Formats: sequence, structure tokens, C-alpha cells
Amino acid sequence: MSRWAAALIYAVLGAVTFVVCFPLLWAISTSLKPKDEIFRWPPTLIPETITFESYRELLFGGAVASAPGAGVPPSAYFMDWFVNSVIVSVGSTAISITVATLAAYSLTRFRFRGQRAVPYVAILGYMIPSVIFVFPMFLTMVALDLPDTLLSLILGYVCITLPFCLWLMWAFFRGVPIEIEEAALVDGATRLQVFRQIVLPVALPGIIAASIFSLIVSWNDYLFGRVFMNSMDKLPLTVGVMHFFDGTHVDWGLMMASSVLMTLPMAILFGFMQRHLVAGFGAGAVKG
Amino acid sequence: MTDVAIRGLSKSFGTNRVLKALDLTVPSRQFVTLLGPSGCGKTTLLRLIAGLEQPTEGEIRFGERRVDGLPPGERNIAMVFQSYALYPTMDVARNIGYGLEVRGTPKAERRERVGAVAKVLEILHLLGRKPRELSGGQRQRVALGRAMVRKPDIFLMDEPLSNLDAKLRAAMRGELRRFHLDLGTTTIYVTHDQLEAMTMSDLVVVMNEGVVQQIGTPEEVYARPANLFVAGFIGTPPMNLIPARNEGGRVTVEGHPLPVAAPAGAPAELILGIRPQDVSMATPGEPGTIPGKVWMVELIGSERLIEVEIAPKVRVTAEVRASHRAALDDAVAVRLDPAQIHLFDPASGQALPREAVREVGARPA
Repeated sequence: MSRWAAALIYAVLGAVTFVVCFPLLWAISTSLKPKDEIFRWPPTLIPETITFESYRELLFGGAVASAPGAGVPPSAYFMDWFVNSVIVSVGSTAISITVATLAAYSLTRFRFRGQRAVPYVAILGYMIPSVIFVFPMFLTMVALDLPDTLLSLILGYVCITLPFCLWLMWAFFRGVPIEIEEAALVDGATRLQVFRQIVLPVALPGIIAASIFSLIVSWNDYLFGRVFMNSMDKLPLTVGVMHFFDGTHVDWGLMMASSVLMTLPMAILFGFMQRHLVAGFGAGAVKG
Repeated sequence: MTDVAIRGLSKSFGTNRVLKALDLTVPSRQFVTLLGPSGCGKTTLLRLIAGLEQPTEGEIRFGERRVDGLPPGERNIAMVFQSYALYPTMDVARNIGYGLEVRGTPKAERRERVGAVAKVLEILHLLGRKPRELSGGQRQRVALGRAMVRKPDIFLMDEPLSNLDAKLRAAMRGELRRFHLDLGTTTIYVTHDQLEAMTMSDLVVVMNEGVVQQIGTPEEVYARPANLFVAGFIGTPPMNLIPARNEGGRVTVEGHPLPVAAPAGAPAELILGIRPQDVSMATPGEPGTIPGKVWMVELIGSERLIEVEIAPKVRVTAEVRASHRAALDDAVAVRLDPAQIHLFDPASGQALPREAVREVGARPA
């Protein structure tokens, strides 16, 4: 490849990277600016004065007593929302992954009628836009006396993440050779030992991939939170931060600081898990 | 030491009957090979003995103990898989010791036994490695070590050498045989490779279509095939099987009388079997020979295979010394060694008793 071609490729890649990263950089920059600098013209990408005021208000605002009669500012609920989001994402992921792993394992290992159809039906279900079933699901939650509870959100997220997790784990287990399980059975392991000590470690990269998917979907969801939840202190982050926009005024500093804080856990998680995604998958167990 | 007795064993997958009322006794301490083409049911039989499949009918006993119905882990067997089936996330030491681990063997004893087996197999330096870091031959040894460490009653091996290259396979054949002689553990070995069966076994069980065709020592199945299937399956190059007739007690091929008497009560139509090395080349017109013309000549190292067409679509292969020259379409004749002729009943496929196939004078009676 000539130097010019290489230069061109790097220029294009650089431009794409900049376009992709710019919103995040802008959000970080805005979250660190004082309120008067946010709207200054010409805008500054690197803040002239750096302030953590927005972060302080979000993280410790709940502890700060507001003036009597002024009502509680939305930022005071930020930590509640954050905890809610953690509970519903982790809760729904735990359920989805447990069910998907066990179901996918049985789909690949035990013979029964309709065995081949299940994963395909599941993935078809995943392709239906969630906006179509969010209202019937809401009515179901009402019938179960569950709306405005975190459990309703957990169940809702399980419904949207389970089909794809099942598909992913199914595809993964199909690649795990059955001989290693048979070898363990001959070695004297029980079915449960085989699953725990042989199958799960081999399936770990698949479980991590499915978990990341499920966490991201439930962490980023807006629709279910918007429809299912009502009380200010029970909202997930995505719905809660919309309260920084009150119809006439947008608090961009808080909005951007929330965005950064919302992105952070997923970014850290992904950075940490990424290594496990590729590490140690069962190459070499079977044949050469 | 344990013998294996199998009585009336059948196995069906849906409507497909893979094993048909099979009877087999594997004597204690013997190396027994299940030999047959793909799909003959040999691997299914091994998996039934291992407990990885449940029989449709019949029973399996290890010594006095009836084992069909017991899970694999309670049969005290060890199995070496074709794909080795090592645990990918465990290192070699844990792979070998896993069977001891799940049985609750103390750690110190486990380490000692794993070390001892690894020493015998010369894989001590690999104990800390993961399976993906091993070569095919090393994986094979780990799989063997895993089988040996538990001191099982019976070794089951499912084509364990088929993934190795030819040179390593030849070396491992010798080693496996040596291990068996040292350990004296009853071994059931599945292969489709007759060379493995012939070189390693005390007994060969030839199978086809879910039925045992013949049980015997390697010499017996080679020298006295019980039926047409065994005759055609054992031996390289394969035995010549040509149509023959019983004409008044005399065997003829394409109208040419052979110096062989048909057994009393033999049918009029026969199949004659003779190994290529028992066929020699002769000049046309010699008594007791069959004339024909050379159809194909192949050199196989120190020998040459000459295929002679004695009638349309009827060919006899002779294995002669490589120095023997023959050109395509030469008019030649073949002589069949009368002492090595096998006769089969085409209707049943069964061999006629060898003792009854008598040599007679070369001239027509």
C-alpha cells in the first residue's frame, strides 16, 4: 500500500472517529462548564473554567435540604434513579441469563418435540418492536397489581432481553462438544457437576456477551420506564433525567453530567469484560 | 480383572435398529477390537457398554455385576474418545485428575497418582498447560492418562488414533499395546482400521449392520473368514470373490475346472474367495489355470498387483513380485493355490467348511 493510500485511510478513519466521539466529548465538556459558559458564543470545547458543580448537585443534591416550600428539585432524586437503574438492569440480566443459559443448554442437549423451532420462534419474538407490546404488557402489570414497581420493569426487561440471550447461548452451546460432558460423566461427575465444572466455564465468554447485551438494553431503555413508572423516586435514570427539561428550560449542565454518569458504568463494565470475551474459549479441547 | 458379557443387546434410534440382539463375551484382561465399516454399530455398542446410551433390550454384565441401567460414573470404566474430549478450561494435571477429584480422592494422593501416570506417559512437563497448547499426540497422551489414572476395570477406546498422522499412529499402536500388556486391563477398542485391529488385538469382533459377523483371533478372521462380508472386509488388497460352480463335485470357474472338490451338499452356484497373494501368474493352457488378459497393473512398493479379466466384468487380482512384468491386454493365465481357496454359499453368504474343501488332481475327473 502506498503512503498516500495509507494517509487517506487514516484521514477517513480519523474523521469517522471524531464524528462518533464528538457528542461524548461535548457532553463531558458541557458537564464541566459553569452555567454562563455553556451558552457562550463562540462555544468552547475545552472549558475555560472547570467546575464540578453539576456533579456535586447530582451526587449529593439529595442530601442538601431545599428551601421550605420550594419543592424538591429533580436533581435530588438522581441517586435514587441511579440505584433504580442498577437494580432493574442487574435484576433483569440475572434472570435473563439464568433462564437463557439453562434453556439453551437443554435445547442443545435433550431431544424433544419442537426442539429446533424454539430458538427461531424466540428470535422472531425479539424482532417485534417493543413499542407494540409495551401497552398490552402495561395492562398485564395493572392486572397483576405491579405498575410503578421496580419488579414490573425487571419483568419487562426480561421479556425484551431473554429471546436474544437465549438465541446467543443456544448458538454458543451448539459449539460446545458433547464429548467433553460425556468424558466427565464417565469420570464419575454428576449431571450438575458436569454443568457447573465443565459446561459453565466453557460457556463463560457466551454468558458474558449475553450479560453485556442484556445490561446495555435494560440500562438504556426509555420506553418501558416511561410507560410503567410514575413515582418520582422509582424512575430509572433514562426517564428521570428528562425532568431536567421542564418545558421551557433545559438545565444542560445537569443533563450532560447525568449523561456522563450514565455512560460511565457501562463503559467501565465493557472495558473490564472485553478481555473475558475473547479469553480462554475452548479451542483445542477437541481435535487439532 | 473383569470380563464383559453382553446378552441379546438391541438398540434402536426411532425406527432405525442399530444393534440387533447382539451376544458377545469379552474375556478378562483381553484386548478386544470391534471392527467394521462406518455405521455398523460398533461405536453404539461401545457407548452402551460405557452407559452413554441406554439399550432398547438386553443386558450387560461386568463380571457378576449387571451394569445396564447404571450411570457411566458407577461402572468403573474409563473411555478415550476419538476427539480426546479434554476439558478445555482445565490444565493437563486437572484434566487427568478430574475423575479422582469428583470421587473425593485427597489432594496429595491425587497429585501423586497424576504424577505417576504423567511420568509413564512422558508428559510430566506438560502438566501446567491447557489442552489448546498441546499437539495432537500430546492431547492423545493426556486422554490416555485420564483413562489410566483411575485404575478402571475396563478401558473403552473409540478410534483413539484416527486423528493422528500416519507416523504417530504407528508409534502409538505399539505403545497402546505395550500399556495393555503392562496393565492387563480388559480393553474394548473400536476402529474401522483393520491394520489396528490385526496388530493390537487378542480378539477381533467383526461387525456389520448391527450384527456380529465373526469373533476370532486376528489370524482366524484373516485365514478363516466366516462369511462373504468378513472375507471382503479383512485383508489389503481385499480377497478376490468370484462366481464359481459346483459341477459334479468339482469346482469350476467360468467353465475351467480347478483342482478342488466341492464339499458334499454344496450348492450348484458358489462364490470362490482367494487372497491376491495366493494367486500366481501362469501361461495360458496350463492345466488347472484360468486364462484371461491383463486389465490393470499397479505397483505397491515391493509387490505388484496384476488384475486379470477372466470373463467380462470378472477379474482376479494377483499379488506378485514387483520384478514381474506384465503389459495391459497381455494374454495370461492365473493359478489359484488350491489350499487357500475359500468357498461361500451365495444365498446365505456363509463360508462352506474349510476342512471339506479338498484338493484333487489337476486333470478333469
